[in-house]
Amino acid sequence: MPDAHPPAADGQAGQPAAGGGDAPPQDRGLPTGGPLTRRDEDSRLLAARLVAARHPGQWVSAAVVLVLFAMLVHTVITNARFQWRVVAEYFFYGSIMRGLVLTLWMTVAVMACGFLLGIGLAAMRLSSNPVLRTLSFVYVWLVRSVPPLVQLLFWYEIASLYPQLSLGIPFGHEFVTVGTAHLFTGVLAAFAGLTVDTAAFSAEIVRGGILSVERGQSEAAEAIGLGRRRIFWRIVLPQAMPAIVPATGNLLIGLLKATSIVSVIAVADLLYSVQLIYQQNFLIMPLLMVATLWYIILTTVLSIGQYFIERYYARGRRRDLGPGRGLWQIAVGNLPVFGRIRHDLAGLA
Amino acid sequence: MSAAAAAAAKPVPPAEPLPLVRIRELRKNFGLHRVLDGIDLDVHEGAVTVLLGPSGSGKSTLLRCVNHLEKPDGGFVEVAGELIGYRYDHGRLHELRHRQVTRQRARIGMVFQQFNLFGHMTVLENIIEGPVAAGVPRKQAIVTAVELLSRVGLAGREASYPRQLSGGQQQRVAIARALALQPRLMLFDEPTSALDPELVGEVLSVIRDLAASGMTMIVVTHEIGFAREVADTVVFLDGGRIVESGPPASVLTSPSHRRARAFLAAVL
Repeated sequence: MPDAHPPAADGQAGQPAAGGGDAPPQDRGLPTGGPLTRRDEDSRLLAARLVAARHPGQWVSAAVVLVLFAMLVHTVITNARFQWRVVAEYFFYGSIMRGLVLTLWMTVAVMACGFLLGIGLAAMRLSSNPVLRTLSFVYVWLVRSVPPLVQLLFWYEIASLYPQLSLGIPFGHEFVTVGTAHLFTGVLAAFAGLTVDTAAFSAEIVRGGILSVERGQSEAAEAIGLGRRRIFWRIVLPQAMPAIVPATGNLLIGLLKATSIVSVIAVADLLYSVQLIYQQNFLIMPLLMVATLWYIILTTVLSIGQYFIERYYARGRRRDLGPGRGLWQIAVGNLPVFGRIRHDLAGLA
Repeated sequence: MSAAAAAAAKPVPPAEPLPLVRIRELRKNFGLHRVLDGIDLDVHEGAVTVLLGPSGSGKSTLLRCVNHLEKPDGGFVEVAGELIGYRYDHGRLHELRHRQVTRQRARIGMVFQQFNLFGHMTVLENIIEGPVAAGVPRKQAIVTAVELLSRVGLAGREASYPRQLSGGQQQRVAIARALALQPRLMLFDEPTSALDPELVGEVLSVIRDLAASGMTMIVVTHEIGFAREVADTVVFLDGGRIVESGPPASVLTSPSHRRARAFLAAVL
């Protein structure tokens, strides 16, 4: 505050003071220009080599962790009770393969339907229609509150609530009627339960992504006369993807593993197929290892896919990626066989 | 001198019947705050109107009302004899469907302070997006886009992404994107305010060329020198009202309104 009120000349501070009489810097007795100062050490300092700081702690911790890891690998290999021969024997076993296929298509189908539903729910949540907004909120709240296992059992037993399902005019004539128990077999119940769950979580992921796109983007799109749908699908959603993809990759991998809960309603997925076998021959551990290894392989494939999708949607986000490279070019550019491109490596850092 | 030459070179429309833009008693509130408090303004075909005023005076809101990015709370905006955003019927103004507003906007180009280029699209894709959405064949849109790029001095940058360009280059792409729809009217919302000082010149020179080519424009800016040189009319806003308007020579050199004098003293 005291600075704000210098006496008297406040109003005229601008012009006269600047023009008037502020002393130029050399009047304060400080040297300006002239030759640089020199000292004897300078040449030695300039010639010296740079030595990075050493971190002995890093070496010690790395060694400890490596020893522990080696011990783990050693015991897994040498412990005969893992029965790796049995694992190898059952790895491509017919019923396990069928279970694997079911797990895979269940994951793909649930993810596709759930995610599309999720986009719809997110759009509802962000719309200006209060009814849609509330409905979307209630859906997400309800579904997120109920454990997926409970939902699964619920859909499996829905016949006890509604023995018959029919298609017709609301409160009026019915055209087609089917028995619910016939319709909701284990597979459909599993699909419905997981899709409902995935939709709720996707909706939140998509909503977060959309909110991360700045308002100016849709305004600019409106100003060049794009329609609402085109703005959403071509301008907002693609730019929301960098925020959406990592979380969705997480969701997808979680879903892949979550499909194993369908074994409780006797759907023959990967885990249930394995269980059927070990309940007869009691080779529990090796058969669980078969399932585990398959889950690891699938998750690895998904993670790699996620990496490339992230790279694809990062186009235009970084200065170093160069113009116009599609998903395929990025994938090829990153495979060692095809020779990595220098700036791809730079982008990884 | 060059300003006078540019003004003289501008084609003089032969006794036009109606101004291209007619704004009457325009009002806009944000909550309880009155941003626009009865604006009356005419912009004639081929004329350049510069809006000046302190921040919060309503310049940008006025500009955004012209292409209905903001819905007015009273009064109306007419562009080329067409009511913007509404349809008159039996004593009522019915708000238009989004699709109809979209069609109206296609004839009004707008350039934003923050450029707002689509970051996931190349320069070329940014420019052809509007025309393609409006039904222009892709090939034809590309030909036009390439021409426009060389017109704004960015020939050969079709494949670049916006983030690979400087601010000045991005703003010139944004101008090309707005021009791609062959608008009858261009709106500029502080087109140089987000730029580093050394990049302002290149953007202003593109806008200057556009003015010389006879484009009708409404420009919000703080570049007084630019306003003096290019504007046919300078409009000074304060508190949501027009407090002074006229040719730059009189408004900028001898403003009669107290607020306009204070503003110019602070800016110059």
